[in-house]
Amino acid sequence: MKRALRVDWPACHARGVCHELLPEVVDLDEWGYPIVGGEVTPELLGLAREAVRMCPRLALRIVET
Amino acid sequence: MNSSPIAVCEDPDVHAGPALFSGLDSGPSLAAHREQYGDVPRISLADLTAAIDRTGLRGRGGAAFPFAIKLRAAADGSRRPVVVINLSEGEPASSKDSALARTRPHLVLDGAVATARALGAHAVHVVLPGDRPLTVAAMDAAIAERHDRRMRLVRHVASPRFVAGQARAVLELMAGRPNLPVTAWTPEAVAGHRSRPTLLSNAETWAHVGRLLHTGPPAGLGTDDEPGTTLLTLRLPGARVAVREVQYGASLRSVLPAKDDAAVLLGGFHGTWTTARAARRLKVSVPGFRESGLALGAGLVLAVDDCPVAWTQRIVAYLAGQSARRCGPCLNGLPALAAAVSAIDDGTGTARVEQLAGLVERRGACAHPDGTVRLVRSLLTAYPDEIDRHGAGHCSWTRQATVVRRLRSVAS
Ligand code: SF4
Ligand code: SF4
Repeated sequence: MKRALRVDWPACHARGVCHELLPEVVDLDEWGYPIVGGEVTPELLGLAREAVRMCPRLALRIVET
Repeated sequence: MNSSPIAVCEDPDVHAGPALFSGLDSGPSLAAHREQYGDVPRISLADLTAAIDRTGLRGRGGAAFPFAIKLRAAADGSRRPVVVINLSEGEPASSKDSALARTRPHLVLDGAVATARALGAHAVHVVLPGDRPLTVAAMDAAIAERHDRRMRLVRHVASPRFVAGQARAVLELMAGRPNLPVTAWTPEAVAGHRSRPTLLSNAETWAHVGRLLHTGPPAGLGTDDEPGTTLLTLRLPGARVAVREVQYGASLRSVLPAKDDAAVLLGGFHGTWTTARAARRLKVSVPGFRESGLALGAGLVLAVDDCPVAWTQRIVAYLAGQSARRCGPCLNGLPALAAAVSAIDDGTGTARVEQLAGLVERRGACAHPDGTVRLVRSLLTAYPDEIDRHGAGHCSWTRQATVVRRLRSVAS
């Protein structure tokens, strides 16, 4: 089982907290919205959970792929 | 906001066809329908599932999703399922749902009602298109003819917007919220209306279910892999809009004009461009189209005798305006993509188009960005030379128009 971050797009307002916390997985596009790439590996899981908690719009979830 | 480059047609020419469109001459009334088919079929869930499995029925709303998977998911839930007929087709150029509503409404309703009974549902929700008054009136008249106290028919009217017919947007409408897409964390067949398993399909899909339950599998129609028929909306230069029922495996040649310089848009505004020459070699088939990189989508066949680059520019500008403006990549990316597609005429090339296509794809609550990207990419694939020609200030169809546009942009 692999994990990935998924964005609730209507909720996300491009503050970029997720990118600051997890640059390994989250890049930002030219408008400041997250580009989620790649797997949330077990090593990154703690930071990914932190990003989910810290997102000001509660727009992130960790999903199993 | 850019209006649709193609006006909605609710009054297409409809011919008799081998299955759904059989018996058209007796009209759309309930009496005529019962005369042709008899009462609503009673069928157990097990028999219904087996019948669906045998025909491999796929949804006809555009995604061609196997109906059996949705049916099983809805049946497996612990709560009472909800059944939805989605008539709010967003594709302005498609007329098949309107054609069904106006000629075969009771076949559509029977398919959904029989399925709802098999699933133990108490209501069938009918979602009508806000921008198609004749379609709404036809379904309302059909609903008014039916009296079944154990199966409520609940009507809703969707907003006149391209993405209003998207599944999650329809569920929002049914819940009394704005008729806009939201993020789907679970498939609606698992948790949809009021978190109940929700079996939502478009009118044509339900009509095929109705026909299957009334008359059995479509013997002798279609191919072994894809039995039966499908509806196509034909929009050809100089001809009245038509909806035709064709067998899977039939050649597109029979419905297309012979002119080789016609450009053909298949599927819908979320569909794919191809040349008339390539289209004439195609057979009507979901996997067959896919193998050719094309999409049968909502069943549109639009042939135009003017420039596909200019058409795409107009359609993408319209689609950008139809973004529900909720998801950042879509609300920023589609207008930028529209501008980049227009800028092909200024000789800026397609690098920015490709970059934006990559940026908006799969980054929204609904498939609107993906569908828009599919259309744009198909233009790049089908007409690379024409795009170069536009970049150099020419157009094979309307040399003058490009020159005029350039003069105008120099002047402004
Ligand atoms: S932190 Fe949340 S709101 Fe901000 S960009 Fe990331 S997902 Fe969007
Ligand atoms: S992807 Fe675009 S059209 Fe779809 S919900 Fe988001 S903003 Fe609206």
